[in-house]
Amino acid sequence: MKILGIDIGSRAVKLALFEGDTLKKSDIISTMQFYRDYSTTVDGSIRLDLKAIGYHHADKIVSTGYGRNNLQVENALIINELKAHVYGALYQTELKNFTLLDIGGQDFKVVKVENGIITDMLLNDKCAASSGRYLENMAALLEISMEELKGHFENPVALNTTCAVFGESELIGQIALGHKIPELSAGINYSLYKRIKPHILKLKSKNIVLTGGVAQNNAIIHYLKEDFHEVVVPELPQLNGAIGCGYLGVLKERKRSNA
Amino acid sequence: MKKVGLTTTIPVEVLLAAGCTPIDLNNIFVTGGKGLELIESAELDGFPRNLCAWIKGLYATAMTNEIDAVIGVTEGDCSNTKSLIEVWQSKGMRVIPFGFPQSRQREAMVKEIDHLMKTFEVSMQQVNKVMEKLYPIRQRIKYLDELTWRHNKASGFENHLWQVSCSDFNGDPATFLKDLEVQISEIEARSPFSDYEVRLGYIGVPPIIEDIYALVEANGGRIVFNEVQRAFTMAEASVHDSIYDIYLSYTYPYDLKARLVDIKKAIAERRLDGIIHYTQSFCHRGIEDILVKQQLGIPVLTIEGDLPGKADARTKLRLESFMDMLRDLKE
Repeated sequence: MKILGIDIGSRAVKLALFEGDTLKKSDIISTMQFYRDYSTTVDGSIRLDLKAIGYHHADKIVSTGYGRNNLQVENALIINELKAHVYGALYQTELKNFTLLDIGGQDFKVVKVENGIITDMLLNDKCAASSGRYLENMAALLEISMEELKGHFENPVALNTTCAVFGESELIGQIALGHKIPELSAGINYSLYKRIKPHILKLKSKNIVLTGGVAQNNAIIHYLKEDFHEVVVPELPQLNGAIGCGYLGVLKERKRSNA
Repeated sequence: MKKVGLTTTIPVEVLLAAGCTPIDLNNIFVTGGKGLELIESAELDGFPRNLCAWIKGLYATAMTNEIDAVIGVTEGDCSNTKSLIEVWQSKGMRVIPFGFPQSRQREAMVKEIDHLMKTFEVSMQQVNKVMEKLYPIRQRIKYLDELTWRHNKASGFENHLWQVSCSDFNGDPATFLKDLEVQISEIEARSPFSDYEVRLGYIGVPPIIEDIYALVEANGGRIVFNEVQRAFTMAEASVHDSIYDIYLSYTYPYDLKARLVDIKKAIAERRLDGIIHYTQSFCHRGIEDILVKQQLGIPVLTIEGDLPGKADARTKLRLESFMDMLRDLKE
């Protein structure tokens, strides 16, 4: 039995294919490429061309994400994002009690999980200042790559506005004061972390599991480790939602065959 | 006939024997549709903002309704009531204190109930007569509870409302029974809820949030156990029990340990998939959540309520996600 999990995010579409109980194959495709190359519009609704992506062998599909209600994936079971990410974290970390922090391209989520079940959550609205999009915009302003941005955490310059647009003006001010790339980058990373930290504090537990595209940012991991007991970054943080979809499919299948 | 307000369940047999009309102030406060106004008026009289809304609601309900006296429960319910009693007395309200002895010793219970009987000038014979009348009503309520969890026909809200109303039998046990029979016949005629629904237990004090039962049902589940409300019914007592025995085996006012035994039994018997632990903001019972989560062995969702009204968006999302995952486990 092959089960495909799809997480249609705002910046990337993630695919995870399970065979039996194991993750066999995964891919991350930019959202633009995904809609341009792998989707077609039929009678006003968008249909996904799984053959073109190379995932047409799946027996069962479970999908989630930002675009899940707009996109027709034939025979797919659609689940909510919170649940998808929690199942992903359950599979990847094997923990049962944790606080999940998922920082995606367009939002972040803090979800408290106790005995393997969601018991609380805090979500931000679509706000660029607390998401990966903020990092991308600020890196573009500094004319550096995300790869370079993510490594700097020492001596952050102060960036205090809560808004991503005004944050750019503030960054320009700091550039004009003569600060160098490392401090400016650290300032960007730290300002994102500072906005998210109060939300984690509200739902903290002994283990913080960090997922989403921003989990690849070493500076954010560094700041988290300074403040919290145990920080766990799963092996495939950006694929976590897609893995969660696939894993839930596996669980359902297991139950079905045991019944 | 005197109207006597109650701050929580008390040996209501004594009041009925004395020919008084018992009025559970909680029920009037939360169902009267003026909850927020009552809280505001209590705050204008000086009650702190960071205090349980029930206490403020009880205060203002007694002050604005025609109540001749109040029985204030000082032990086993809420220690805020002790200060509430003093404020009531300063405003000229007659208050009779009653305590569920923390030792749960028979002698202490005898003393408390005898004192209550003496205050209301009733004999044990009169009390026993009332007990004989209430026994069949309590058994019918037990049947309504079975219609909820065994026959799967009654809703969680019906179960809550009828059981919670046993603290005062809506002031008139005979009419209460007549209305109950109508409700039971209506429920019996229904077809049962689905076998696949998520079965939840509700533990902790009754909710100040009015739509919690409806939200659970909108998410494909049903509350089939209302812990404290069921305790209010005294339906587990035998026909031979004395009034002292009944209120000694009552779980709510005593230690959490005994309540947990009762809850665990219900989890097994009623095949519960999960528990909603309701706590009231600023209430000492919130601390009990630590033990509830450790000891029940099934998923627990803690919902904290503050003011009367409908659940907020976050509570709705929490409940939805919790039940969604319970359904995955059940399927």
